[in-house]
Amino acid sequence: MGCCYSSENDTTEQDPEASKPLIPHPNPDSKPLNGTEWRSASVPSARKDEQALLTSILFKTALNIIDVSAADSQGMEQHEYMDKARQYSTKLALLSNSLSQKKPLPSLTSQPHQVLASDLVPYSDVQQVSKIAAYAYSAISQIKVDAKEELVVQFAIP
Amino acid sequence: MKSREKKRGNAADGLHHRAKQVKMTTSALTQGLERIPDQLGYLVISEDGVLASAGELENDEHTAGVIMQMMRTACRFRLQGAAEPPFKRMSVMLEDYVYTVTVSGQKVFVVKRQNNQREPVVV
Repeated sequence: MGCCYSSENDTTEQDPEASKPLIPHPNPDSKPLNGTEWRSASVPSARKDEQALLTSILFKTALNIIDVSAADSQGMEQHEYMDKARQYSTKLALLSNSLSQKKPLPSLTSQPHQVLASDLVPYSDVQQVSKIAAYAYSAISQIKVDAKEELVVQFAIP
Repeated sequence: MKSREKKRGNAADGLHHRAKQVKMTTSALTQGLERIPDQLGYLVISEDGVLASAGELENDEHTAGVIMQMMRTACRFRLQGAAEPPFKRMSVMLEDYVYTVTVSGQKVFVVKRQNNQREPVVV
């Protein structure tokens, strides 16, 4: 559904709202998590670097993960949904217009008559391509999900 | 009287000359296509629409539209690192006939040709 996040501060700007993370940053004060053992150097600056790295990794992960079992889900009013939908569709229309006007067709040959008059694709080639396509189709149709574990788990923090 | 007739004569000549010019430009495109052996019809299409059509493809704007779409998609294919599409001609092969398609000078040329190739008989 996208990034729909409403905050207590009323902002009229739409763009920053669209890119705000759904989940608040889990570890803003760069404290190492329980259970992680970091063999840091005796030098304190090295530890700070590792903590900074860890924090950035956590932040990036938090940006990319959508927590389906999030405790507080802030809903939006019906009219806000409609406004957002309208906004997105106009933006899409703008983008698709600019895309279709992009480049003209590249010229494939300077001798169109000669190219079109030359021999047709041999039947054996057509047969071979059909066979390859049939194999590919059969392979793709055998792709399936092999569910081994639960998708949603609780992290066990001792 | 005479002078008016002469004037009308000149205007008619001018129109005839212009029509001849237009006919020559189109036929320059289509002459080569007419002569392709076993051709059943052809289309010459530009970004604005059909420039010329003949045979089984005469006035076939639907086919023209479909083939333009296919060509636009096909021209986006690239082999790794190449700057140009990796083909000179696209063939749409159906049971008894083939549409051979190419692009030259911002125009798409389509020729419908007989497809006589069959399963080779193994004796």
